[in-house]
Amino acid sequence: MVLRIEDVHLQYGSSVRAVQGCSLEVGEGELVSLIGQNGAGKSTLVKGIMGEVPVASGSITVNGVSVSDKSYSTIRAGVSHVPESRGIFASLTVGENLRLGAVTRKDKAQVAADIERELERFPVLRKYWSRGASLLSGGEQQQLAIARALLLNPKLLLLDEPTLGLAPIIVDLIFDVVVALREEGMTILLVEQNAVRSLEVSDRSYVLQAPGRVLGSGTAAELGRIPAVVDYLGFSPAEVGAPQ
Amino acid sequence: MIIEFLVNAVGLGALYALLTIGVALLFGVLGLMNFAYGELILAGAFAMYLFRDQPWPFAVLMAILFSVVVAVVSERLAFHPLRDADPVTLMIASFAVSLALQSVARMTVLPRTKGVPPESFLSHRIEFLGADVSVLDLLTLGLCGVMLLGVAWLMGRTSLGIQLRAAAEDFRMASSLGVKANLVIPAAFVIVGVLSAVGAAVLVARQGSVSAEMGLQPMLIGVIGAVLGGMSSLKGAALGGFLLGAATALLESLLPTDLIAFRDAFLFSALIAVLVVRPQGLLSGTKVRVS
Repeated sequence: MVLRIEDVHLQYGSSVRAVQGCSLEVGEGELVSLIGQNGAGKSTLVKGIMGEVPVASGSITVNGVSVSDKSYSTIRAGVSHVPESRGIFASLTVGENLRLGAVTRKDKAQVAADIERELERFPVLRKYWSRGASLLSGGEQQQLAIARALLLNPKLLLLDEPTLGLAPIIVDLIFDVVVALREEGMTILLVEQNAVRSLEVSDRSYVLQAPGRVLGSGTAAELGRIPAVVDYLGFSPAEVGAPQ
Repeated sequence: MIIEFLVNAVGLGALYALLTIGVALLFGVLGLMNFAYGELILAGAFAMYLFRDQPWPFAVLMAILFSVVVAVVSERLAFHPLRDADPVTLMIASFAVSLALQSVARMTVLPRTKGVPPESFLSHRIEFLGADVSVLDLLTLGLCGVMLLGVAWLMGRTSLGIQLRAAAEDFRMASSLGVKANLVIPAAFVIVGVLSAVGAAVLVARQGSVSAEMGLQPMLIGVIGAVLGGMSSLKGAALGGFLLGAATALLESLLPTDLIAFRDAFLFSALIAVLVVRPQGLLSGTKVRVS
């Protein structure tokens, strides 16, 4: 397993417990989605994987290394994170933002080839290479954030609400990219409020309910057989098409 | 006359821009309003006094060495242990470092103001673009201009510069991409050390003396220029410092002799007026790490 979360409790400060007893797994090459409403604890779980929120109990391991270990580093563990806020550096150009994604890599020749690969994937970034990142639209910034994350050649890609607030045409583009990455063998944990689209593209999904409890997990068909999940989502995941 | 004024105004503007970048860089990267900045200038100025009998370029190199050493040591001893502290704690620590260094200087090597006779070549006047210009003004413009170009190159063209700018904008996000705090923070202190040393060399040449308190005014100029330009933007800080310096030179040229003593009153009234209209500074950045 690339990511294994076992009965984890995460809390902010000394009292607010945002995730209580969550368990999930993401295997190599899998596209797993984490769906649930606002405040379900999805983003907190991602922060837990990034080591930004301490694990109160239970465990989170990435490629066998616990995030609670002092030596844990998301970079060494091969985790790339595209945060909900996108994390674009507005004072940098598009090109500088991209180069920052490979700042830890020593194989400079391969970095240039990988940047070219991402520019092929997201042509708009080539067009605006020298433009200030603050001048990009929301959809263009999201493409930049994903391209930058991919330049780390991650073993696990965390996508936190990648389609939030974007126009439908850009949402389609982002999901197309996610599907393409899955076909390339990338291991992805996709955190989304857009449950229908997530179920459509994912190998498996976890439905999270506040405070960070797994209501059900499995393929869309399996989730459709869990009444609590159907009741929570307001539709049967079984009616959603399986990934192509 | 106009050329002479322009050399003076642009030179003073470049000097002030240099001082403000030093303040804004540490504020951006570390969330640190470094009141000990004046003592980095003091360290450089003391080197200029210590090596006053040596060739001027050698004294400047020694000033850079002294300021960088004081900057790096203060980072290691005072600010490194407080790296995750809130900005107020950092600011109070910088006050402590400032007072400690100033007191040590006053008790040991600089109990009173020491004269540093200006280099003879600095008091010459030469013809520049058809005008009679002092070498000191030209040197201020040339040295500070070259340093500003150097900072612009470093920040815009090198990987370290990109990492510094990213860290100044959003330290946490930069860290998650692999930008190392142990690289960018000491690097920022080294850059600030170099900038303050060059500032010190120019200030000593213009003032002809060194004292334990001499860092206070340039530190305040740095802070005020950075506030004017926008604390969260390095470009804004440089612009703020430049405008402050150029306005100072302009007021010195335009004010009648009996009003020159009130120069700062005019200057800071204008500054307050600007901040009333744009409290975020002339060029505000997007985000600043504040904790």
